[in-house]
Amino acid sequence: MKAPTFSTVRSNDHAVLLLHGLSSSPLELRFLARVLADEGFATHTPNISGYSAGTTHSRMEQWVSAAVAEFDALAAQYTHVSLCGLSMGATLCAAVAHERPSARALLLLSVTLNYDGWAIPWYRFLLDYAYYTPIRSRFHYREREPYGLRNEALRAKIARAMQKNGISEVGPASIAMPALHEASRLAHLVRNQLKGISSDCLIIHAIDDETSSPHNARLVEANVGAAFLRTIWLDDSYHMIPSDNEREVVARECALFLRESAASSASSSNAMPVVSRALARRLRQLATIAGK
Amino acid sequence: MLVRNARRWAPRGGKRWIIASSSLIIAACLRSLLHPLLGPVMPGTAFMIAAVLVEYYCGLAPAVAVMIAGLCIADYLFVPPYGRLDVIDQSDLRLMVSYPLITIVVVTLVERLRRAQYRAELLASVAQSRYEMLLRHDNERLIARRATDEMHRMLHHIAQHNRSLILIKAVDSSTSAPPGSFAATAATATRNGIIDDELFRAGIAYGGKHSEVHREDLVRVSDRLVPGHHRVRFLSGEEDWRPVDCVCERFATPSGDFLILRADDAT
Repeated sequence: MKAPTFSTVRSNDHAVLLLHGLSSSPLELRFLARVLADEGFATHTPNISGYSAGTTHSRMEQWVSAAVAEFDALAAQYTHVSLCGLSMGATLCAAVAHERPSARALLLLSVTLNYDGWAIPWYRFLLDYAYYTPIRSRFHYREREPYGLRNEALRAKIARAMQKNGISEVGPASIAMPALHEASRLAHLVRNQLKGISSDCLIIHAIDDETSSPHNARLVEANVGAAFLRTIWLDDSYHMIPSDNEREVVARECALFLRESAASSASSSNAMPVVSRALARRLRQLATIAGK
Repeated sequence: MLVRNARRWAPRGGKRWIIASSSLIIAACLRSLLHPLLGPVMPGTAFMIAAVLVEYYCGLAPAVAVMIAGLCIADYLFVPPYGRLDVIDQSDLRLMVSYPLITIVVVTLVERLRRAQYRAELLASVAQSRYEMLLRHDNERLIARRATDEMHRMLHHIAQHNRSLILIKAVDSSTSAPPGSFAATAATATRNGIIDDELFRAGIAYGGKHSEVHREDLVRVSDRLVPGHHRVRFLSGEEDWRPVDCVCERFATPSGDFLILRADDAT
């Protein structure tokens, strides 16, 4: 199944570059892209050669270069450009944000720096070593239930699509070992670069993520160098949070964060006012905690 | 509520294995120091304490490794005959039954408690996230309500002072709705009200009273209008002009900010 790259028309001065998960397609971010476009953001969800499904394998340095090129193309047209990624796409976004500190905001959905969720088999670490054996060209890591979805109806639909086409709107049926190896290298690179990321950062993660445990989000939260950082935890989703039960919450919080980030930038004077006393109190509490 | 990731509570990485190895070595050293005093009594206690502490701080896998390694070291070094593996007697059997049994029970309990604690922490994080989302939504709702109230106040103001309205001006005509749209009813209902295309683009709508204002004053207030009191010349009789006090108010509505100038009803 060849997924098309899709972009919305230019609607204002804020564009969002959306990067899908490893060996997947832009389809998995379709709902989020549509909501962001409705909210007035220009969105661009590219296919990245060597990273997206249906393209030949390449090294992770080329993934980062291609994503940076997409970012630069948007930066030439729009005042603000933000990054939003899902799973390994979030890790790729973090690498781009490190390369391009001008990124307005960084939205990390189910960020994956380690494959350590509850559905990952205990022998997963052996794959890192198996890459250096002759089986690397033959072995494919097969996706299994629950396919990152807590929503059972959607899961059944995805299972049928995977059996039929080898790929679905939430990702591929299997991932080649070289791609997994490059993803591990990318995750290792980003773990070391987190302190150098200064863009506003929103982390959204499900506590029962079956692919990347909450340690991933906590690691980013503890180490990222962003001054404006927000973490949102979900309890009714698995890994594919933009498609699962809480997709509306995810999309709404992404749009809200992008608006707040743009409003808080130096060039803008229309920051969202805080009129709720309860919110003002909560923000003071958080500022006190952050100051300690 | 089942949280399957609760079993992943332990920290990741090689550091926990270094801590586990260090604990094992420290337990072995302490037991060796106490060996002249204790002799064959309680050969595995130090290793059991080490395994439980490692379980609490580093997780199940390092704790099990410390327990098994501790069993071997205790049996080899602290159960007579010391430093020999070839003889297995009643002392060895006692250690092999009692030490793993007690250690497994305690480690299992600690593991269950740590999982429950981590699950509670995760659920508390979700609750906190939801509370903050609720507060942000509440803030948005209050902002929207405030804007709606301001819009109602402006519409009421226009309706109330329809006869004394001079002009409505958008503070930023590029981002505001055409002010004429608010005054349309008033303007069309008024004999001299004007709403034309050019004024729409400039963000100005004249009210019925504007035709009585001196042309110079009208141009002045159209160009530079600020909230507060103004004095403009009104036609009085055939060609006579008299100064009249006027009031300009600002309204911040969801459709943009507007200034409304009207003749002061008191005059």
